[in-house]
Amino acid sequence: MSEHHSNEQHHILSNSMAAKIFGALLVLTVVTVWVAQFDLGSLNFAVAMLVASVKATLVCLFFMGLKYDHKENTVIFSTSFIFMIIFMILTFGDLLTRGDVYVKDMSKIIPDGAVAAQTKSKYEKAWVSNPELLAHGKELFAAQCVTCHGAGGAGNGVAAAGLNPKPRNFTVADGWKNGRKASAIYGTLTKGLNSMPAFASLPPDDRWALSHYVRTLGPHESEKDSAEDLKKAGIDASGAGGGSAGEKQIPIDVAIDLMSEKS
Amino acid sequence: MAQGTGSVSHLDRHHAHHFKSGHEEFEACKQGMWIFLVTEVLFFSGMFVAYAVLRVFYPDMMHDVHHHKLLDWRMGALNTVVLITSSWTMARAVSSSQRGEQKNTVGFLWATLLLAGVFLVVKYFEYSHKIHEHILPGAQYAYEGLTTAKVPIFMSVYFVMTGIHGLHVVIGMGVIYYLIRRAKRNEFGPRYFTPVEMTGLYWHFVDLVWIYLFPLLYLVG
Repeated sequence: MSEHHSNEQHHILSNSMAAKIFGALLVLTVVTVWVAQFDLGSLNFAVAMLVASVKATLVCLFFMGLKYDHKENTVIFSTSFIFMIIFMILTFGDLLTRGDVYVKDMSKIIPDGAVAAQTKSKYEKAWVSNPELLAHGKELFAAQCVTCHGAGGAGNGVAAAGLNPKPRNFTVADGWKNGRKASAIYGTLTKGLNSMPAFASLPPDDRWALSHYVRTLGPHESEKDSAEDLKKAGIDASGAGGGSAGEKQIPIDVAIDLMSEKS
Repeated sequence: MAQGTGSVSHLDRHHAHHFKSGHEEFEACKQGMWIFLVTEVLFFSGMFVAYAVLRVFYPDMMHDVHHHKLLDWRMGALNTVVLITSSWTMARAVSSSQRGEQKNTVGFLWATLLLAGVFLVVKYFEYSHKIHEHILPGAQYAYEGLTTAKVPIFMSVYFVMTGIHGLHVVIGMGVIYYLIRRAKRNEFGPRYFTPVEMTGLYWHFVDLVWIYLFPLLYLVG
């Protein structure tokens, strides 16, 4: 009878097969925990995902019966993972390329004065240290820098172990790639250096505050900015106009914030 | 009727009038279940993508979480074993119902329900420890052992992902209990086991999510 044709018969997972799959899943769990003990760098992540995927495949094929099921159910379920990959690609395609995009002419999309307000300095000369800037720099340092540079600035933060080259030790005079002058530190904050990201999204005053504070952590008093240094950093020391000198661009994430405030 | 032990000719029970046969009804139902599971994967994918983004952008966050042992991998491993075992008992409940072994069906469903309960108890101990130590999401984070800007973000991801997964476990327990009551009334057998099989697919999916959550949250730093 057609009713009893083979394609109308449902496969039943045998007890011995269920036990074998169960055993394999347990063994693979032990494997993934065992491998995690060793520090293999980025390979740890790859191995963990590989083992998880083997486990997931076993569950799908046998416990969920896709091996014995119509192929269309496998196709249907697979589409979800294809769309998950598309989701990942689009998200990272956006996020990982944002750093390259700087909005050059803000006037077209951002209200007048918004960029200036973003980069305007509270101080007449933010490149010269003052107690208010130092106090602000100390706060910013605790929030932004201690993870790598350590609470005392000795380059021994909790994340320092995983970094190469190591974070700068601010308490000694040696090794400063860009020099120890405030304008040099300001430049490093703006552009980043090695594994240190750029902090250009901090307003100029914040970057000056950090620059001045970092200089108090070691014997850097003697390293002073000359008019020449400041000029190189894009600052006209004689002119008025505050610390925003040379800041005609703002990072894309700051621009997006400004645009969303507008709308 | 088919006599083979490895398969069952089934579902010539009374079926809805818009299906040609009970078999067709069963297959349509199962396909619907797989489509539902697709929506479940997509639902979880938002959280997995968020995890991936944070992982790529804040490697120091992952390092801190791992280095300071904010999550206890032994609890995670225990729950992995519990959930895998429950997947096995669920698979046995499904095959028992297909063979018409009522006592085994009820027994394995109870075992699955019990293991799901154990999973939640372990999760309860993990959560209450974290609440006690103020290892909480976002602004609620106030753990004295580790002060960083990024770890509170990880804790948000941890609580949302394990919380939503835990909610799936709770819902699964409700459905399994409903199956137990029906199985006790001897409603399932070789001719009709659709609800048991569908619940099995759902339960294995819940296991599937945990198979990835365990290494991602507890193991790789």
